[in-house]
Formats: sequence, structure tokens, C-alpha cells
Amino acid sequence: MNRTFIKLLISLSASSLLATSALAGIDEGKTTYDTLCGGCHGTGALNAPVLGNAEQWKDRVAQGISVVEQNAIKGLKMMPPKGGNPSLSDEQIIDAVAYMLSALDAPANVVNTAAPVSSAPVQPVVKANTANTFNRLLKGGKEEWNPDPADDGIHDPDHEESYYLQSPKEAFEGLPESRYGNHVDWVEALATSAINPRFDRLDADKKPFVLDLNIVREVKGSMPNVVYPHKQHTEWLDCSNCHPAIFTPKKGANQISMASIIMGQQCGVCHGKVAFPISECRSCHSQKKEVAAK
Amino acid sequence: MKALHFSSPFVFLAILLISLFMVDSAQAEYGDIVINNYSDDAGMRPAVFPHWFHRVRFRCKVCHADLGFKFQAGGNDINMLKIIDGEFCGACHNGEIAWSIENCGMCHSGIPGTPIQVHGSTLQQLVTPNKKATAGDK
Ligand code: HEC
Ligand code: HEC
Ligand code: HEC
Ligand code: HEC
Ligand code: HEC
Ligand code: HEC
Ligand code: HEC
Repeated sequence: MNRTFIKLLISLSASSLLATSALAGIDEGKTTYDTLCGGCHGTGALNAPVLGNAEQWKDRVAQGISVVEQNAIKGLKMMPPKGGNPSLSDEQIIDAVAYMLSALDAPANVVNTAAPVSSAPVQPVVKANTANTFNRLLKGGKEEWNPDPADDGIHDPDHEESYYLQSPKEAFEGLPESRYGNHVDWVEALATSAINPRFDRLDADKKPFVLDLNIVREVKGSMPNVVYPHKQHTEWLDCSNCHPAIFTPKKGANQISMASIIMGQQCGVCHGKVAFPISECRSCHSQKKEVAAK
Repeated sequence: MKALHFSSPFVFLAILLISLFMVDSAQAEYGDIVINNYSDDAGMRPAVFPHWFHRVRFRCKVCHADLGFKFQAGGNDINMLKIIDGEFCGACHNGEIAWSIENCGMCHSGIPGTPIQVHGSTLQQLVTPNKKATAGDK
């Protein structure tokens, strides 16, 4: 049943774009497995679920791949954190788990499974990790937002000062939330004075010159039109940040497309990096339009 | 300045879909920047600049207009001499506006070997798979 679910995810994310990197991850995962995890998971020592035994993994996988990965990282009852080797990175553990779960898809290893699921003409190994990735990202729950610097994958956890740095979770306490990015609605935070960032390095009282001018960009197709608001931008930015380097200051004078935004140009210079990310379609595509029925 | 175009709508869609699900995958705080043009070679941990922390205190304009930080991770050729002369980070980390430069480890806190990046950026998530996609598409 879980496997059907995984298969569904696979077919959804059947994009071969991810396949190559996924394979590399599984290969590395196998190395970690062979040198460490196999000690218990190869034999079932301490009642560890055995590699390839679908029956023993069924209920575990049902918790969601991200839970399983977290349990492997943090430890679970007799399962030591990171299999007992704290010097392994979270990434390595996740790869090892991906390898272990991929083994569930290899028919030769499957013990005690009901009718084999018909196999798509894709390599099983690839599928499992593609599905993991997909699944993991879908479920990225609230606990995973705004990690402490020392656990965030770029600050060195073996460095004392990493622990002096402020945790974003703590700093964002009480700020209005959003769904992506920092998970803070920065426009709202500023409008409600929940934060009061300086407009001048030294002078705390200097006020920005706010230009209240909306530019509507009509969008072909089904997506709502884009309303570009100068107001929210000039609260934060100077005219020279956009004009003329990014945009010629003339309505309609700039050719803007979604593809180039995603590639980090135009609106994508800031959105998808520091300002709210591209996944917030409706924040930009905010003006309803009459959709002619065809 | 010619805008990018993708010849197939599918590629565009694929990119969009991936971007949607990848954006959330980044672990570190969105917008954290790793600056590592020289640090690794000099035996220092890479510098990590937390955008979120600074934007609570300063608007973008202060750094990106007044202090002249270009919108490009690793694109400002920052070094310690410029910093002690009051440029870039040194405009504030001078013992007056913020703690001073002796606190090396506060800035140089990255995992050694971490490449220059904007953490959690769409682009960071897309570049590799996308290159493959467009190559096949041409
Ligand atoms: C010392 C023995 C031992 C080693 C070594 C070990 N495990 Fe485990 N592992 C266990 C046991 C026992 C369980 C079952 C825990 C339970 O559910 O009570 C388990 C469970 C798991 C689970 C399932 C977690 C869940 O949510 O049900 C995963 C995934 C896992 N281990 C991954 C790994 C990985 C990856 C490694 C190598 C880095 C590893 N293990 C090394 C003993 C071990
Ligand atoms: C416009 C002024 C300004 C500039 C420019 C600036 N900072 Fe800061 N920075 C601050 C202030 C203010 C603090 C908070 C100091 C305090 O809390 O005492 C700070 C704090 C920090 C912190 C600690 C965050 C924490 O969790 O406590 C780091 C790391 C940091 N800055 C790195 C940098 C780096 C790297 C640069 C240059 C690339 C830089 N800063 C440029 C003003 C600035
Ligand atoms: C975040 C980027 C950004 C900032 C900051 C910004 N603008 Fe604009 N501006 C735009 C965009 C985008 C357009 C629309 C261009 C188009 O439609 O091709 C625009 C258009 C304009 C236009 C043309 C309006 C028209 O009807 O033709 C003027 C004038 C203008 N901006 C002035 C300013 C001034 C003055 C400031 C500073 C107070 C400023 N802008 C700040 C992005 C910005
Ligand atoms: C120079 C950087 C920059 C550029 C370029 C830029 N933005 Fe923004 N934008 C911001 C910042 C900063 C905010 C404040 C909110 C945040 O940080 O998430 C913002 C906020 C917005 C908001 C307000 C959302 C709300 O909740 O009210 C909209 C809409 C928006 N941007 C659309 C656009 C569009 C459309 C473009 C391209 C035509 C664009 N932006 C280009 C930096 C930028
Ligand atoms: C930062 C603002 C912003 C965000 C976020 C955003 N868009 Fe757009 N989008 C634009 C702008 C600006 C245009 C160009 C409109 C024009 O033609 O002038 C555009 C154009 C489009 C178009 C028309 C075709 C094209 O490539 O120009 C589509 C379709 C589209 N967007 C879909 C989306 C979807 C789906 C999302 C969410 C994943 C999204 N957009 C998120 C700003 C945004
Ligand atoms: C306010 C943040 C900050 C502090 C504090 C800081 N640095 Fe840096 N440092 C940087 C940045 C940013 C760079 C550029 C990083 C790069 O491109 O690799 C840099 C680069 C360097 C470099 C390589 C470039 C060069 O100038 O030779 C060395 C070595 C270095 N720092 C040493 C130190 C030492 C030693 C201290 C403490 C006395 C220190 N830094 C304190 C931010 C800081
Ligand atoms: C305290 C100073 C400071 C503030 C405030 C600040 N930034 Fe930055 N920003 C930086 C530094 C430092 C870099 C990295 C430059 C480098 O690596 O040389 C950067 C880089 C960037 C980049 C380039 C990312 C890329 O694509 O490589 C963007 C976009 C950006 N900032 C947007 C913003 C926006 C939008 C705001 C306001 C919401 C903002 N910044 C506020 C200091 C600041």
C-alpha cells in the first residue's frame, strides 16, 4: 500500500532531471550502509528491520519518509543516533536511508510481500530516491523551519561561535507568518511595526521615500495579472536598486517572463533569494481577470 | 540584455514544478549567504552572512544602495583590508554600530569547503537539473 503511494509519487515526479543526482546519493548511501548500518540492518541484530524485508519496513515507511530519516538521524530506541557515528552528516544518513528504502523495490530482496507491484520501465534505485525526495519535501513540517545556525548545514557545528549566533526561530517569535522563505511575512511585519529596520545606517529616525504606484502587467493565459507595487518595494529599497540596472522606469518597457524570473533575473534578482520566493505565485499574480471561455 | 526563453513549454513547466518543491528543501535559513572567494584558501572558515538577521535591523537600501553591496553573492570582492578600512561589513562591524572585527569566528563560521551560495534560492536549486534539461532541448 505504501509502495503504491511511493509509486504514485514516482510517476508524478517522473522527471528524469533528478535521476542522475539521485543515483549518486544512493551509491554513497550504499557505502555508508555497508560500513556501518549493515551490522544491524543486514542481520536483524537488536531487532533492527532487515534490509529488503518489506514486511518489516511497511509500517515504518507509512510514518512518512521524513520521519524515518529523522529517526535514523536522531536515533530510535535501540537504534543509535546516526547508527552510532555522529561524524556522519545528515545528508549521508539520508542517503543511507534512501539506499535502504531502495532495496525494498528490488524484487530479489523482497521477503514476504504480497503480489509484486507491476514495475515501470525505470530503474528501481532511481525511483526510490526520487520518491523520497519528493515525499520529504512535501512534508517539510513546521519543526524544520528556521533551524538553529549550528544545525542548518552551512554553519560549522564544530565551531564555538556557531552557537553564539541567534536562532531565527527565536528572533521570529511573534512576527506575522508566511508559508515560504523565512516563513515571515516581511511586508506585514514592517506595516505593523513588528520590526523597525533602519533606513539609514546611523540615523534611526530617517524615513524612506515611499512611492505609491502600482504597475499592472497583463499576463497571457490563465494566470492572474501581475500587480507590481512600488509601495512595498520602496519601503525597503532605493529607486537606484532597480532603476535603471534591472528595470527601465517606463511602464511596459521591460520584457519580463517567468522563465527569466526563475533564472534569477528581473523580479528574480530578489524574489527566490531574499524577498519572498517564487512559489508564492499569488503574491505577484494578484489581479483577477476575465477568463474568456474557449 | 536579452531575456531568457525556453523553447518548450514542458521544460518551463518542469522547472516550475521542481522549483516549487525544491524551494522548501533547503535546510539553512532562507537568504543566508556563504562568501568564500578567499576564506578557504586562507585557512579560515567561509564567512556566513545572515540576511534575515540584518533585515530586521536595516532596510536593504542601507547595504545595497548606501554601502554599495552588489546583488551578487561573492560578487563584491570583499577582503579584510577593505573591512578594517570601514568598507562593506566594516561599515558597521566597527565596535560602534555592531561588535568589532576581532570576533573573527562570528563571521567565519561556515563549514570549511562550503561554496559561495545564497541559501534556499530558486536558482541554487535549479541550475544543475535545468542545465541538463535545456541542453537536451536545444
Ligand atoms: C546498533 C545497531 C544499529 C545500527 C548500527 C544501525 N541501526 Fe538503524 N535501527 C536499529 C534498530 C534496533 C532499529 C529499530 C528501532 C525501533 O523501531 O525500535 C533501527 C531502525 C532504523 C530505521 C527505521 C526508523 C523508523 O522510523 O522506524 C532506519 C531508517 C534506520 N534504522 C537507519 C539506519 C541507518 C541509515 C544506519 C547507518 C547509518 C543504521 N540504521 C544503523 C539498529 C541499528
Ligand atoms: C549596516 C550595518 C551592518 C553591515 C554592513 C553588516 N552588519 Fe553584521 N551586524 C550588524 C548589526 C547591528 C549586528 C547585531 C550586533 C549585535 O547584536 O550586537 C550584526 C550582527 C552580525 C552577525 C551576528 C548575527 C547573530 O546571530 O548574532 C553576523 C554573523 C554578521 N553580522 C555578519 C556580517 C557580515 C559577514 C557582514 C558583511 C558581509 C556584515 N555583517 C555586515 C550590522 C551590520
Ligand atoms: C524593486 C524594484 C523597483 C524599485 C525599488 C523602484 N521601481 Fe520603479 N519600476 C519598477 C518596475 C518593475 C516598473 C515597471 C516597468 C515595466 O512595466 O516595464 C517600474 C516603473 C517605474 C516608472 C514608470 C511608470 C510608468 O507609468 O511608466 C517610474 C516613473 C518609476 N518606476 C519610478 C520609480 C521611483 C521614483 C522609485 C524610487 C522611489 C522606483 N521607481 C523604485 C521597479 C522598481
Ligand atoms: C531589488 C529587489 C526586488 C526586486 C527586483 C523585486 N522585488 Fe518584489 N519585493 C522585494 C522585497 C524586499 C519585498 C518585501 C517583501 C519580502 O521581502 O518578502 C518585495 C515585495 C513584493 C510584493 C509585495 C507582497 C505583499 O505581501 O504585499 C510584491 C507583489 C512583489 N514584491 C512583486 C514583485 C514583482 C512583480 C517584481 C518584478 C517586476 C519584483 N517584486 C521585483 C524585493 C524586490
Ligand atoms: C515575483 C513575482 C512573481 C511570482 C512570485 C510569480 N510570477 Fe509569474 N510572472 C511574473 C511577471 C512579472 C510576469 C510577466 C508578466 C508580463 O508578461 O509582463 C509573469 C508571467 C507569468 C506567466 C506568463 C508566461 C511567462 O512566462 O511570462 C505565467 C504562466 C506565470 N507567470 C506563472 C507563474 C506561476 C505558476 C507562479 C508560481 C509558481 C508564478 N508565476 C510566480 C511575476 C511573478
Ligand atoms: C564582520 C564579519 C567579519 C569578521 C568579524 C572577520 N571577517 Fe574575515 N572576512 C569577512 C568576509 C565577508 C570575507 C570575504 C570572504 C571570502 O570571500 O572568502 C573575509 C575574508 C577573510 C580572509 C581572506 C581574505 C583576506 O583578506 O586575506 C581572511 C584571511 C580573514 N577574513 C581573516 C579574518 C580574521 C583573522 C578575522 C578576525 C581578526 C576576521 N577575518 C574577522 C568577514 C569578516
Ligand atoms: C546588512 C547589509 C545587508 C542588508 C540590510 C541587505 N543585504 Fe542583501 N546582501 C548583503 C551582502 C553582504 C550580500 C552578499 C554580497 C557578497 O557576497 O559579496 C548580499 C546579497 C544580496 C543579493 C544577491 C544574492 C545573489 O543572487 O547572489 C540579493 C538579491 C540581496 N542581497 C537582496 C537583499 C534584499 C532584498 C534586502 C532587503 C530585504 C537585503 N538584501 C538586505 C548585505 C545586505
